[in-house]
Amino acid sequence: MMYDRKPIALAAIAALALGVAGAALAQSAGGVAAALANGSVGEQADGYLGFRGAASDGLRAEVEAINIKRRAAYTQLAAQRGVTVKDVAATVGCETLQTRVQQGRAYLLPDGVWRTKGADPITLPAYCGGN
Amino acid sequence: MKKPASLLVRLTAAFVGGCVQIQAPDKPIEINLNVNIKQEVVLSLKKDAADLVTNNPELFPQ
Repeated sequence: MMYDRKPIALAAIAALALGVAGAALAQSAGGVAAALANGSVGEQADGYLGFRGAASDGLRAEVEAINIKRRAAYTQLAAQRGVTVKDVAATVGCETLQTRVQQGRAYLLPDGVWRTKGADPITLPAYCGGN
Repeated sequence: MKKPASLLVRLTAAFVGGCVQIQAPDKPIEINLNVNIKQEVVLSLKKDAADLVTNNPELFPQ
């Protein structure tokens, strides 16, 4: 009898896990977008998202999930082009700082200082190669 | 006895001076090279990076 119930219990656990993952995925866009808007999360020159201030565990998990997916995409492109993942990530960092960070949003340069984007374009690191 | 000694001192000074002159510009040149190489790699990847961002909007929320 015990052996008969096991698959059902496992299926229930799997369904629960899927439900949680689905809920987290659905929430991720909204949570991170809100954190970007209020400046607690921002784009970093290294090509990943980072925290300017304290963050809840939930937000931290959402941002880390995005960074893991970014890293996977960078790794794929790096392999195709024969460069390091860091090179690809830094290039994407140049791109996001130049085109994605909106006015009033937080961003981090290689000097380790978080800044808030003003009306002027962000002064990119020298290796970004100008505009 | 004095003349050969002063000649030796002069030769040594010239030799040491030569060494220092060769080593001094080494570091700045190396740093500049690293920056140039990195910039070249970044420039070569620029279009790929832009495509990666536009093709994966879920990874780059705004």
